[in-house]
Amino acid sequence: MSAETVYLRLGPFTAALTTPFTDVVEELKRLYPASFFQPRAEFADFHVALLPGKGMHRHLRKQARFLIDGQEHFKPLPADQALALIEWGLNYAIAGLAHHYLIVHAAAVEKNGRVAILPGSPGAGKSTLTAGLIHRGWRLLSDELALIRRHDGKVVPLARPVNLKNQSIDLMRRFAPTAVFSAPAYDTVKGTVALMRAPEESLARIDEAASPGWIVFPQWRQGDPARLERFSRPAGLVEIAHNAMNYSLHGEDGFELLAGIFAKSGCYRFSYGDLNEAASAMNALAAA
Amino acid sequence: MSAVLASPDTATADGATWRVAGQVRWRLWEDEAAVYSGRTGDTHHLADLAAWVFGFLCRGPASATGLARAAETSVELRSGEAPGAAIGRTLALLGRLNLIEKTRPEQGR
Repeated sequence: MSAETVYLRLGPFTAALTTPFTDVVEELKRLYPASFFQPRAEFADFHVALLPGKGMHRHLRKQARFLIDGQEHFKPLPADQALALIEWGLNYAIAGLAHHYLIVHAAAVEKNGRVAILPGSPGAGKSTLTAGLIHRGWRLLSDELALIRRHDGKVVPLARPVNLKNQSIDLMRRFAPTAVFSAPAYDTVKGTVALMRAPEESLARIDEAASPGWIVFPQWRQGDPARLERFSRPAGLVEIAHNAMNYSLHGEDGFELLAGIFAKSGCYRFSYGDLNEAASAMNALAAA
Repeated sequence: MSAVLASPDTATADGATWRVAGQVRWRLWEDEAAVYSGRTGDTHHLADLAAWVFGFLCRGPASATGLARAAETSVELRSGEAPGAAIGRTLALLGRLNLIEKTRPEQGR
């Protein structure tokens, strides 16, 4: 297998991806716009590779390995999970290397010039809510890593495909029937996963950073009506700091950055059980 | 990082003078505070009496007695609780978090 290298734009970053898995590159080209790919680049922030497995396992089941700067940080996965492995690996690379941003494990969506940062622990419904909102008038900045610029507190877009899991995949296929989805990968560590391409408007506005307007902690609960409740800013600040990948590295500057954001943003807990209701509630918040 | 600090549980008011420990950054919103300790690198959420005591000490060192006196007119305490005991427990807990420290007598006010 001969490997090719493509240069893929990831928001403010460029990743040089080398792989012989041509089918995976083709799938990436369905999920990212053509303008995000370059045959060559003068500089890449991340040099990553998706390579076939080695050792005896590769004879039993085709495997894929993900390397960052030649280092293998993950166990190999079955080759049919290679696309998910790339997305997770790229998240890992960004979270581990892009310390000129405060990186919060959160989704970020924008409407009317203001960003809602949506932190959430796994299972909170963060990605599902994000996927729903970006098909109801919100712009996707990120579904997984909110990049907060240190000098002005603005959130910088990544606009990568949204990671969907398990029931959320079919839910979103019904909610946004025109959206582009990857083939599902089954039996991953997160269950069944699929990627959903960002809407074209989000991709076109990839260079537009925006200021936070709301910090919203979502929690999906089946059957719950959509309900926004004011939440303590100090409690929210501690929680979002806890969700940040590199808060400790930034020390008091990280605190000041978050304090500045919370001073200018509404802070809410948001429970929801239905995406249409959730979108209506969030749209009302943005219109207020 | 720490969990919310609202219910300190031990200690006594012994007349010592207390001050904020090291460099801190903090914000007060609606009687609750977010505090970053430069000494530990931790960020804390202080509520109720803990937020009030910390804010008071940010203005300058104070004794437990002075704090208890000020608390009587400035802050709502749990019903039936003596201000001195509540202040003592709060000081001890803030001390355990390295947010405040006792000063030597000549350093206090």
